[in-house]
Amino acid sequence: MKSPHLKRSFRPLVGLATVAAVLAGCAEDAPQDTFKPKGPNARTIDDLQRPLFYVAGVVGLIVFAAVGYSLLRFKDRGQEMPEQTHGKTWLEVLLTVIPALILVGVGIPTVAAVFDLDDQSNECVINVTGQQWWWEYDYSGTCGGVEITAPIVTSGELVIPAGTPVLLRITSRDVIHSYWIPALNGKRDAVPGRLHTLRLEADEPGIYTGQCTEFCGLSHARMRQAAVALSVADFQTWVDNQLEPYADNAPAVGTLAAEGEATFISQCSRCHQVNELLTADGTPVLAEPDLYVVSGSAPNLTNLMTRTAIAGWTFDLLTERCREQLWNAPPDEFGSLYLQGVWMNTAAGAAKPVCFDEATLRDWLRDPGALKPMYADPLNLDSTGGRTRGMPNLHLTEAQIDQLIAFLLERN
Amino acid sequence: MFTTGSKLFLGATTISVVTAVVFSASKGGPIGLLGTIGLVTAAVVFALLAGINLFVRDGNAASMEPDIQHAAAAAQPPVGRSMWPLAAAVGVGGLVVGAVSKPVVFKVAVVVVLGAVVEWMVQGWSERASADAQYNTGLRGRIMHSLEFPILATVGGAGIVYAFSRVMLTANQDAGRWIFIVIGALVLFGGFLFANRRSVSKQTVAGLCAVSALALLGVGVASALQGQRTIHPHPTVSDSDQKALCLAGGEDEVDENASQDVSLKSSVVANVYLQDDGDLVAFVNGYANVEYHEIVVPRNAQLAVIFHNDSMESQRLTGRFGSFPDKPEAVSCTTAVHPGKTAFLGFKIPKTNAASSTPLEFVVPGVDGAIIEITVP
Repeated sequence: MKSPHLKRSFRPLVGLATVAAVLAGCAEDAPQDTFKPKGPNARTIDDLQRPLFYVAGVVGLIVFAAVGYSLLRFKDRGQEMPEQTHGKTWLEVLLTVIPALILVGVGIPTVAAVFDLDDQSNECVINVTGQQWWWEYDYSGTCGGVEITAPIVTSGELVIPAGTPVLLRITSRDVIHSYWIPALNGKRDAVPGRLHTLRLEADEPGIYTGQCTEFCGLSHARMRQAAVALSVADFQTWVDNQLEPYADNAPAVGTLAAEGEATFISQCSRCHQVNELLTADGTPVLAEPDLYVVSGSAPNLTNLMTRTAIAGWTFDLLTERCREQLWNAPPDEFGSLYLQGVWMNTAAGAAKPVCFDEATLRDWLRDPGALKPMYADPLNLDSTGGRTRGMPNLHLTEAQIDQLIAFLLERN
Repeated sequence: MFTTGSKLFLGATTISVVTAVVFSASKGGPIGLLGTIGLVTAAVVFALLAGINLFVRDGNAASMEPDIQHAAAAAQPPVGRSMWPLAAAVGVGGLVVGAVSKPVVFKVAVVVVLGAVVEWMVQGWSERASADAQYNTGLRGRIMHSLEFPILATVGGAGIVYAFSRVMLTANQDAGRWIFIVIGALVLFGGFLFANRRSVSKQTVAGLCAVSALALLGVGVASALQGQRTIHPHPTVSDSDQKALCLAGGEDEVDENASQDVSLKSSVVANVYLQDDGDLVAFVNGYANVEYHEIVVPRNAQLAVIFHNDSMESQRLTGRFGSFPDKPEAVSCTTAVHPGKTAFLGFKIPKTNAASSTPLEFVVPGVDGAIIEITVP
């Protein structure tokens, strides 16, 4: 038998839990809030979901009120059994017609929104490929009027021109993932063997975060992504920078970065590509991740330092202060800050960028598995034919890590 | 000496120990170690519980007095014969047979053994729950019906669906349509009749349903034994022996009866059209109404195109997917597609163009200039 005292003691707890649940919806720092659309597609969804939420809320309140009233009003207090009747035609018709009308009322704008979101008109098409546990983007053709003269391959951050309809062509290399930037549109599954489209458009320059929303294995929670919207002029600058020949940015002979280039070729290039990189005898260095990784792919690092995060956009390349500065920058200043990357706030001629979170990259190179759970233990790869999911621990020495960081810092 | 409860736990201890010995001897590696640890732990726990039961005499202080023992509910004889020992024996036999034959037999036997043990235990317990046999029967029902009915309904439903699927896979496509139409109409008509004739007894309806289900299961089993009809896929030729076929024109074919219609209308990287004038163009998913002679596809991703033959002759689409170090050129192609028909060609290019010593392209053999270049970043 339950104690009345016990029941009373639970009431504050239930009240507190309810208040906590309600207050959780008031979070200020919630960049993935689905109720804060930042583009026309997300706004279409928001314009649909808000009225539907109100309708559903009113219906829910009516149902709960009716159930509550019935429970209290007709509680068994020993009274006589009321008259038992079977059926009441007018009530049954009413209770069928009203929900039907509500469903029709809800269905019409829903179908209209579905067709609107399926619009394929675009000014830019980007291939998006998911794998455990990061996203790859490749660009070609023209985008927002900017001509892309050679394919660009990048990862983590989807850079797009603001105010431009962009069509993503989404697929996967291994398991099912799902692409979602809540501020710009809904979710779209990335399915191996299929190619799904999703249209994004950002109102103004800024950074819009998202994450994989289909459970995809050990580090699903750390498969994040962001859409970075730039003005068309800034986007042109970004494209030009991505296509800059490697020779223009190659490490000077005798520097630590040059040693890093050699270390990169010997340790990293079997999976990671840096475009136009050559061996000492002039042979192009071509990565072969298909031989070593289950998904057959590893991030292209040609312009690593133009991104703000690594490893499935999970770990920042920017220090916390610079990250806050970038994320909170007004739209008209955002582009210039973003294009500086880790060199933001750094005086000309400085040896190292002040915004670079070197410790994180150093930790990652030292032991990736310690930061992000992955199936990359060389002793447990029987089921994958020796290929890893994610980056294995290469057991780099501290000297090699110094060299690699010097080399990678110049990939901007 | 041994109480009822202690016998149960001693039996469980024995089984756990024996299983642990067999498991540890037959299974090595981390799985074997973990399994053995689990089984030994179970044996220790069961032994402990057996000891506690013995110590407290099943929690019945008077259980040592013979008169009280004979009058106790727990001392009542079974009401009737039980089928569960037999089912358990069949299951154990299945385990042995399955262990040396097919894994599926072993898995089914595991389910049979578990089911039989649970039923047997609950029946044994409920028949001694009180001295009232009727009450005991109701008690068993209250516990087991909530499990038995959903499981039987699921198994029955799955059996019917499976049987129907076998029938549809065996019957030819035209017959399949009629089977759907006729059975659907009969079910609808029967339902209509029953709804309008309230005098029909439950037994009649239940009997008809049972006979129909049994008939369907019987036909399903027969169909499964018969095997499914020949279903012609979209053959994609990729065997190196067939490379010559892919690169040559003409209508030589690996499957004369291959499907010439693709039902997959979306989710491909491009729709490729061989036009009447011999031009090969791609309409790329995402670029509406733009003809391309070059397409960009992601590296190392399973992709596909649909080939539409709008020319006047049978033609095939051939994909030349690159020559990478230490491997011959990867070539695959569709079947010869009849005029106005379509075929599906799946492909996966593991490396970039830069790594290939030969061009990556779609071609139509025998048609000059029918080329679409493939770029893999």
